[in-house]
Amino acid sequence: MQNREGVVADGEKESAVSIPVSEFDDWAKFADDDIMQQQSAFHAEEAKKVPFVGDKEPLTMLAAEYESGSPILLEKIKLLGQQYAAIRRTRGDGNCFFRSFMFSYLEYVLESQDHAEVDRIKGNVEECRKTLQSLGYADFTFEDFFALFLEQLDSVLQGNEDSISQDELIIRSRDQSISDYVVMFFRFVTSGEIRKRSEFFEPFILGLTNATVEQFCKSSVEPMGEESDHVHITALSDALGVPIRVVYLDRSSCDNGGVSVNHHDFVPTSGGHSNATSGSTEPVSPFITLLYRPGHYDILYPK
Amino acid sequence: MQASRARLFKEYKEVQREKAADPDIQLVCDDSNIFKWTALIKGPSETPYEGGVFQLAFAVPEQYPLQPPQVRFLTKIFHPNVHFKTGEICLDILKNAWSPAWTLQSVCRAIIALMAHPEPDSPLNCDSGNLLRSGDVRGYQSMARMYTRLAAMPKKRLAARIILITGQSNPV
Repeated sequence: MQNREGVVADGEKESAVSIPVSEFDDWAKFADDDIMQQQSAFHAEEAKKVPFVGDKEPLTMLAAEYESGSPILLEKIKLLGQQYAAIRRTRGDGNCFFRSFMFSYLEYVLESQDHAEVDRIKGNVEECRKTLQSLGYADFTFEDFFALFLEQLDSVLQGNEDSISQDELIIRSRDQSISDYVVMFFRFVTSGEIRKRSEFFEPFILGLTNATVEQFCKSSVEPMGEESDHVHITALSDALGVPIRVVYLDRSSCDNGGVSVNHHDFVPTSGGHSNATSGSTEPVSPFITLLYRPGHYDILYPK
Repeated sequence: MQASRARLFKEYKEVQREKAADPDIQLVCDDSNIFKWTALIKGPSETPYEGGVFQLAFAVPEQYPLQPPQVRFLTKIFHPNVHFKTGEICLDILKNAWSPAWTLQSVCRAIIALMAHPEPDSPLNCDSGNLLRSGDVRGYQSMARMYTRLAAMPKKRLAARIILITGQSNPV
């Protein structure tokens, strides 16, 4: 950065014919590559600590983490313990919401063997495919990601040749070539839903980033590693028709001094239209529960 | 590896099918290696690159399309966001804003758009960036045009060299 100013003066005349001075050149050359390398080194370090999807841990592990921390958080964790038994951590690589959703959903199907749910979501996936096509996405850009998700969906249903166990599901969720492809599938679905209903999402997006819907999808939804916000969660929940409960663990407390743990249910309505009108729907019990701590999502298991 | 190869093959077929659709881009896959591509792009009109044909080299990583292709200019170009020596391109979609929704073809289109709309605030070629940042549009354009003539218009290369050396526009 500090080099920029000085360069005009001597660069002006020379660079027309000769090649720019080396000191400056080196800086320019290294800037972008260095940042990229640093980022991937950081991710590699992070990877050693937490796999994409961790092991199931009792909720007491969470309390231990905050032992010397804020009393509000400790109080909230105690309250969480009344309703929830365990937590499964995900890697903080910006894909944690999608990764948590992936594992949680596939695990639900694996345990429940809910064939009706699988048929239902396949219908929604077909709709998402049509949405992307109508938005002008070339099939070959997204079809591999769709195929890989559908493959996982079929394999968690038992009784087929390709059926997999819970252990195998964990292995696959930690295998980058599968895990990242499924995350990318969700990113395509989320982007398609936001663009399809851009009028609905526009005000929320403006509140977040001051970007247009198009820019937001291009820069904050489709690229891997971009963190998710309530806009992403709403869109994914609506697009796939899957209710999601998010439990918030932060330092906020009620004015009257009482501490309670807030949660928000993202509930799609059966018509496919959505969290927009969720006030009027009958209560649905979400089978995906995520724990939100500022900047990160993990999976929660109810008792 | 398998996935990237399959995807690139689809892109290859698409490029063959759509050859006529985008006359400004000619994207060619290496005969023996589907991970190596080159492209010829036309400098956009009403820019100092107009009339020039620029060659790009693509090196596609095995994690493609989760990871972006590496792209650089093989043809010398004077542009704020292209490294003057290495041809490296500073473009968000080739770094952190990449997504598999992009294709080699659409990357070419994005590069053409970048040629027409330089971003002098994130320069790889600071001489070029500083000309624009200091408001010397004319200075930037004449430099860019000179290099376009010098490097991106093969037939006129000799004539341009003579102009550069002698300073005369009508060499004998």
